[in-house]
Amino acid sequence: MTRSAFTDATGTSDTSDTSGAAGPPVRDSPPPTAAPGRRRRGQGVAYLFLSPWIAGAALLTIGPMVASLYLSFTDYDLFSAPNWIGVDNYATMFGGDERFWHAAWVTTKYVLISVPIKLGLALAVALLLNRPRRGAGLYRSAFYAPSLLGASVSVALAWRALFSTGGTVDEGLAAVGIDTGGWVDQPQYALLTLVALAAWQFGAPMVIFLAGLKQVPKELYEAAAIDGAGQGRRFLSVTLPMLSPVILFNLVLETIHAFQAFTGAFVVSSGRGGPSDSTLLYPLYLYQRGFTDFRMGYASAMAWVLLAVVAVLTALVFRSARRWVFYAGENR
Amino acid sequence: MGRVSRRGPAGLLVSLVSLAAVLSGCGGGDSGDGPVTLRFVWWGNEDRAKVTEAAVDAFRAKNPGIEVETEYSGYDAYFQKLSTQVAGGAGPDLLQLDRATIGEYAGRNVLADLGPYLGGALKVDKIPANLLEGGKVDGRQHAVAAGATTQMLIYVPSQFRAAGVTAPSAPGETWTWAQFTEAMNRIGAAGAVAGTTDFGWAIDWFEVWLHQHDKSLYTPDGELGFTADDLAEYWELIGTMRAGRGVSAAEVTTKMDGSVQNSGIVTGQTASEVGYDSSVTGYFGAFGPDLALAPLPSDAEESGMAALPPVSFGVAQRSKNKDAAVKLLDFLLNDPEAGELLGASRGVPPNEEVRARVCAGATGGSKAVCDYEVAQQDRIGPAFGAWPTGSSAVKRDFQRTYDDVIFDRVSVADAAKRVVQDAEQSLGS
Repeated sequence: MTRSAFTDATGTSDTSDTSGAAGPPVRDSPPPTAAPGRRRRGQGVAYLFLSPWIAGAALLTIGPMVASLYLSFTDYDLFSAPNWIGVDNYATMFGGDERFWHAAWVTTKYVLISVPIKLGLALAVALLLNRPRRGAGLYRSAFYAPSLLGASVSVALAWRALFSTGGTVDEGLAAVGIDTGGWVDQPQYALLTLVALAAWQFGAPMVIFLAGLKQVPKELYEAAAIDGAGQGRRFLSVTLPMLSPVILFNLVLETIHAFQAFTGAFVVSSGRGGPSDSTLLYPLYLYQRGFTDFRMGYASAMAWVLLAVVAVLTALVFRSARRWVFYAGENR
Repeated sequence: MGRVSRRGPAGLLVSLVSLAAVLSGCGGGDSGDGPVTLRFVWWGNEDRAKVTEAAVDAFRAKNPGIEVETEYSGYDAYFQKLSTQVAGGAGPDLLQLDRATIGEYAGRNVLADLGPYLGGALKVDKIPANLLEGGKVDGRQHAVAAGATTQMLIYVPSQFRAAGVTAPSAPGETWTWAQFTEAMNRIGAAGAVAGTTDFGWAIDWFEVWLHQHDKSLYTPDGELGFTADDLAEYWELIGTMRAGRGVSAAEVTTKMDGSVQNSGIVTGQTASEVGYDSSVTGYFGAFGPDLALAPLPSDAEESGMAALPPVSFGVAQRSKNKDAAVKLLDFLLNDPEAGELLGASRGVPPNEEVRARVCAGATGGSKAVCDYEVAQQDRIGPAFGAWPTGSSAVKRDFQRTYDDVIFDRVSVADAAKRVVQDAEQSLGS
C-alpha cells in the first residue's frame, strides 16, 4: 500500500513534467518481453526467496487464524480439549456482556481522539521539518525516535511513573497551582494519558508525510504565488490536495493501529483496565477473557469481531476517499 | 499494510529464534536415567526469592542428580505467564498457587493428584489437618500448604500514638467495628496519613466479615454463600470511614493489588493495612522495623480470622518428573534446614515441628508473625476451605466493581447486585 501511494505521487509529478511533451510518457511503454522459459526460471528464484515469508505466513499467521476461527465456536479454556458450542460465544458477547460493549465504547473513544491528534501533530511537524535548515536530519531522527520505542513496555512504565499520583506531571501541575492528582489513577483522565502516549509516537506518520511533501511539485507553489495566493491558501489549495493520498494512507494505517492498542493500557493499568474500567481497551478485555478468565474460545470470537469491524471501517474510509483524495492527472 | 510488511522479516526472525529456543528447551532434561531438571516457579518479593533460592540450593546439595531451575515474578505477571506456558505445554513442574487458583487449576486438570504420594514420598503427618484441607479439590489433594497465615492489621505504632490511638495487641484483647472506625477516622483527622488502606477491594477481607456473621463466601458445593445485601452492608460500613479519611482515597485504593511495593503503608499514604501475616517479612523489608500487628475488628464472639494456606505448592499434571518434583516439595515442607532458611516468608511453616524451631529463633518480621500467631491462637478458627473454579474471575470482578463504588460511579446497592450477578455467571462456567 505504501508503494501504491508513493507511485501515485511520483506518477503525478512524472505526468505533470511530461504532459506538455510529445509522445507517450515512459511509464506507459509496454514492459520488455522476456522469453517464456526464462521468465519461468525467474519466477522459481522469486519463489525461492519468498519461501521463508510464505512458510512464515502459513505457519504463523494463516494457521493460527484458522485455528482461532474454529476456537471461536468452542468453549476452549486453554487447558482442556475444546467443545463445539456453535455461536454461543457471539451470542453472549452481543447479548449479555456489558463489559464487551463498554470495552468497545472505550476503544471507539480512544480511536476517535487519538488518531486525529496523532495525524495532526505528524503533519504539523512534517511541515516544519520540510524546510531546509541546519540540523534537519537531527530533528527528524529526534521526532521519529519515540515511534521506534512505541510498543515497548519500558515506555509505558515510564508513562505510568510520569502520570501517577506524586509523579512528574502531578507535581509539576501542582507547582503551578493546578491540583488534578495523578492522571492514571482517575477514571476521567486515565484514557487521556493513553491518548497522549499514542500522540507522542507520531514519528512514523510524520516520516511518511515528509516523503509526501517532498513529492509536491514546486511549480504548483510558484504558480499559486503568481496568482497571489498567501501561505494559508497555498496550504489549503496545493499542499493538502497533493498530500491527500498520503493522508488516506496514514489515516487507514493509524486507525487500524489504534484499534489494536494494547501495551500502553496493559502496563499503565497493571493489566486490569482500571481505574474503574476507564482504560479497558478492546484488546485488553480480549486478553483478560483469554488469559485470566480462561475463556479462550470467547476471546477468539472477540478477535474475529474486531477483525470484521476494522475491515468494514477500512472499506468505508476507502469508499469515502473517492470524494476527498485527489490524484493529479485525474480530470475533475 | 506497509507497516506489516516492513515488520515481516524481523518478526519472522524473532519467531524463528524463539521457536528454536523452545525446541532446544524441549530437548533437555526429559531423559529417564540421566540428571533430571525441574522447573520451580513462584510469585513474591525479593525477600521471599532470596530465602527460596537458598532452600533450593540446599536441596541441590543433597540431591546431586536433580537440577532445579527457579523463576519468580510479581503476582499478576506470574499468572499471566503461567497460564500461557501451561497451555503451550511448557509449564513448570512445581508451582505456587493461592486459594483462588487452586480451584481454577485443579478443576481444569492442570494439577496432579498428590494422593498416591501422601505418607510415602510426601510426608504430611506434621501438617495440621485444616491446612491440608485447603489444598483439596473434590476430595483430592491437589496442593499442599506452603505455610500457615492469618488475617491481620499491620500498622505503624508511631503514627497511631501521634493520633492517640491504641490497637489491641495482647492475647484476648479485641476491638469492635465501631472502635476501629473511630480510631481510623482519628488518624485520618490528625492529618499526616489516612487511617488504613481502603480494604473493600479484596474479597479476602469480606470473607472474614462474612464469617463473623456466620456466613461464607462460597458454599461447599462451590456456589455463592452471600447475598447482595450482605455485601452492601459491608461496603457501607467502609464507606463511613472513607468520608472521614479513615481509609485511603480512591486514587490510592485503585492501585492496590496485595503487593508490598504498592501498599499504602510502604508508599507512605496510610498508617495501617489489612493483610495476611505471610507478607509481614516483606513489609519489614520494604518499610523497616517500626511495625506492629493487631487482630481485625469484630462485633461477634467469632473473630472471623482463620488459619489459611497463604500459598500452596502443587505439581503439574503434565510434569515428566513428578517423583523429583514431589521430592523437592517434601524437602521444602519438612526438612529442618529448609524450614530454617524459609522462615516465615510464606507464613509460619506448615510443619508444626519446623514451626516451633523456626519461631524459637525468629527475629524481625518472622518474630512479629510468630508472636501474633501465639497471641491470637484462641481466636483463630479452622480453615475456610478451597475456593471453587471460577473464583479468580469473581475476585477480579469484585475489585473492579469496588473501583466504581469509590469513584462514585455506582451506588453501593447496585454495585453489590452486580458482583452477585457476575459471580453467579463466573461460577457456572
